[in-house]
Amino acid sequence: MTDDRLFDEKTLRKLEQLALQAHQVRAGAIKGERRSTRRGTSIEFADYRNYSKGDDLRRVDWNIFARLERPFVKLLEEEEDLAVHLLLDASASMDWPRAAAGDLAAGEAAHKFTFARRLLAGLAYISLTGGDRLMISALGSRGQAWGPARGRARILDMLNSVAAFAASGETDLNAALRDYALRGGRPGLCLLISDFYSPSGYEEGLKALQARGHEIGVIHVLSPDEVNPPLTGDLRLVDVETSAGQDVTVDAAMRDLYRRRLRAWQEEISAFCRGHTIHYASVETSVPWEEVILYQLRGLGVVR
Amino acid sequence: MSFLIPAAGLLGLLAVPIVLLYMLRLRRRETEVSSTYLWSQVLRDHEANAPWQRLRRSLLLLLQLLVVGLLVLALMRPFILTPTVTTGRTVILLDASASMNATDALPSRWEAAQREALDIVDALSPTDSVTVIRAAAVPEVLASASSDPALLRSVILDAEPSQGPADWPAALTLAAGGAAGAENFSVVLISDGGLPANLPAIPGSLRYVPIGHSGENAGITALSARARAGQPPQVFIELTNFGDQDVETILSIKLDGELDRAARMTIPARSAAVSFFTDLQTGFTTLEAGLTPASTSRVPDYLAVDDTAWAVYNAPGAGRVLLMTPGNIYLRQALTSLPDLEAYEGRLQDGLPTDQRFDLYVLDSWLPEDGVLPDGDLLIINPPADTDLFVRAGISVATGNPRVRRDDPRTQYLNFNNVNVLDFTVLEGVAWAEPLVTVDGGPLVLAGEEGGRQVAIITFDLHDSDLPLQIAWPVLLANLMQWYTPARAVSQEALPIGGTLALTPSFEADAVRVTRPDGRTTTLRVGEGPLIYADTTLPGLYTVDTYAGAELLQSELFAVNLFDRAESLIRPVGRLTIGADEVGEAGREEIGQRELWVLLALLALAALSVEWAVYWRRMRLPRPAAPARAAPRPAAMRPGRWWAPRRR
Repeated sequence: MTDDRLFDEKTLRKLEQLALQAHQVRAGAIKGERRSTRRGTSIEFADYRNYSKGDDLRRVDWNIFARLERPFVKLLEEEEDLAVHLLLDASASMDWPRAAAGDLAAGEAAHKFTFARRLLAGLAYISLTGGDRLMISALGSRGQAWGPARGRARILDMLNSVAAFAASGETDLNAALRDYALRGGRPGLCLLISDFYSPSGYEEGLKALQARGHEIGVIHVLSPDEVNPPLTGDLRLVDVETSAGQDVTVDAAMRDLYRRRLRAWQEEISAFCRGHTIHYASVETSVPWEEVILYQLRGLGVVR
Repeated sequence: MSFLIPAAGLLGLLAVPIVLLYMLRLRRRETEVSSTYLWSQVLRDHEANAPWQRLRRSLLLLLQLLVVGLLVLALMRPFILTPTVTTGRTVILLDASASMNATDALPSRWEAAQREALDIVDALSPTDSVTVIRAAAVPEVLASASSDPALLRSVILDAEPSQGPADWPAALTLAAGGAAGAENFSVVLISDGGLPANLPAIPGSLRYVPIGHSGENAGITALSARARAGQPPQVFIELTNFGDQDVETILSIKLDGELDRAARMTIPARSAAVSFFTDLQTGFTTLEAGLTPASTSRVPDYLAVDDTAWAVYNAPGAGRVLLMTPGNIYLRQALTSLPDLEAYEGRLQDGLPTDQRFDLYVLDSWLPEDGVLPDGDLLIINPPADTDLFVRAGISVATGNPRVRRDDPRTQYLNFNNVNVLDFTVLEGVAWAEPLVTVDGGPLVLAGEEGGRQVAIITFDLHDSDLPLQIAWPVLLANLMQWYTPARAVSQEALPIGGTLALTPSFEADAVRVTRPDGRTTTLRVGEGPLIYADTTLPGLYTVDTYAGAELLQSELFAVNLFDRAESLIRPVGRLTIGADEVGEAGREEIGQRELWVLLALLALAALSVEWAVYWRRMRLPRPAAPARAAPRPAAMRPGRWWAPRRR
């Protein structure tokens, strides 16, 4: 995967116009480029308040004092940076469908991991352009990660690293998220891209992240053949992640049952997220990844 | 229910391999999926409905076992006992005469007869055999001593009724032929009656299955168009009501296909009405008379075949005659007074006209100077010179004892006893001609065909005899003119259905083509056997075209009509007399076997179709879904608006 394959010029220009947005703003460690809810030291005026003992005399508005003979302190806007955590599920189930893995150039590359990496790189690009503090972590057996880093200068490095990510092995999403919550550093906007095929569940992990103070967005990626499985007959289904077998006779009724189960599952995740103020987007890989950023994530308010 | 081949039930063991195959079929194909996470959940849901699902799963097996069961049952040939008209060796005589087209039994008597015949065939035991004979003008054996119900059904269903009478003696003789050596022999006559009297007795037992219930029919029973000299043609039509109620009907007459007149008339029950028409315009060739029930009439007319009749009218043929004479008042007068002749007189000094052709050349005491006789029929009187046809050998005065050739149409009613002739020319080289009138010195009148033309020679000068003053003169000329009249290929202009026509085309013709009313043509080659046309099974107008090579010489017509009172009288007959026996309606007194395998085979086919449909419904892959789109864009992000610059 090379850079020009990830983004074309047009997409880049579109992405440059965007910025990641966290509603529950976290305190930045250093001054950043985004407005904070806290009053701070920037040059943007915010409000006045009565002087109280101990306030810095430099911030008293002497013009007001001259007119009203009462001291008022001028409150200024605070600008801070945002910590952005991009988490990518790198379990073997993301390496699907197998046939489409090498065919990155194909317009309808429905390969989940490729799609997820592009989405990730797009979000990372927005984040770096926006001057945020970015951390990328692939949740998997290999412990692939990049960052923390800031600034446009790191874009090329980021792209190369993301391109090098590989999906393999088994991932316990709960454990991986909990683990990340423990060691993940400064809380901020945390976006998770995953297919959620995790038998142990995901709820505890997300709760742990949230408890750590992160604002979470979840992008649920599914390939079209997972939504509409092209299977029929008496089959032994083998899980590429766990190699577990499952005997099933697939017919029209069974496929129908599967689709209903899938919808119910998506609805479960969505309901959980709603209940915990987590942004949730369900995405099929047949949709161009930039559309996901430009429309779906903007719709959710993660990107503006 | 009993079985003809109970041993076939052993084939039911085929169910065992089916069950085994069904169990083997569950060897599963390994397929990789990204995760079995959802599938295992689906299967858990699935287990909740297990009993119903298991039934669904085994539905295919049940259907397959049902198909095998039905097929095995069919192969065991089950049958039920059913009452029937006849068993054993049977001959079915199907009346295919015109009256079977009557529609009082719906849809027609013929189809009712077919149903009766099929009923007999369906109740056939395997040891029985059936011969099917279609009794029409020429009886036809459709199936001979067959035990194959499928064959018998197909020949009965394929047969069609004729439009003419049936030859019953021949049909019964044909039926009796099957009796030889048979023990349980019977003849089943499926008919509406109308059989002639004095039919021969037949061996075996005779059963009669009457068809039809009404005798209401009116038809045209006679039609003729007669030419009258110098007057319009006379048309005679006889209409007969064979039913028991008075019929109000409309008689229409079409001349050459154009409606000429229509008249409403009432025909009393069981009687005939006659119509004469003497005021028809001349110049028509064909006449079609049609009978239509009046709209106010409540009486049905069940038979349509006899409601239309055709006639061909031939105006007396006109011949063109050229007279070359130095002046002969007798000839001139005789030729102008004879009917149907167009007489012209040429000038001797101009010779024969080359730009016109005549049917007959009369050369009186004159011959063309170049000695070349014209190409046409000839009447040469007192030949003044030798020609290709004869050589003059002198003058004879031995004119006594005249003898007229007998049994010749050319000398019909001719009496030469009072005719006196001064002298005549003796001719030689006239072996081609027959002498019609001979005196002691030789022939006075000769006639014959030579070189494709008809030639008659009168060897004396009319002025040197008193013949022109005698009654024999017009008689002789009229006979000769009759003889000269061009030959017609069609000898009869009206034929009954099934009648035969001897065709007599002119000598130069090499082929005759006859076109039936339905457009079917038959070509007969001249010189290859007798020219007899017998394919007159349809009523209507037939066209006879005579060809010489590709050139059409002549086109003539003849009409074929039913005109058969026995067929038009459609009243069904309850009892028949055949030989010395009188038979009434046959009851279903015997026990036949009705086999059920066809029904079972059809059920098996239906079950197989259901199995196929269930399998494909289950195994069909869903159609590839259209590529999913992202969630619809929020209104604020429509193109053009979502490029709002980033706010900092």
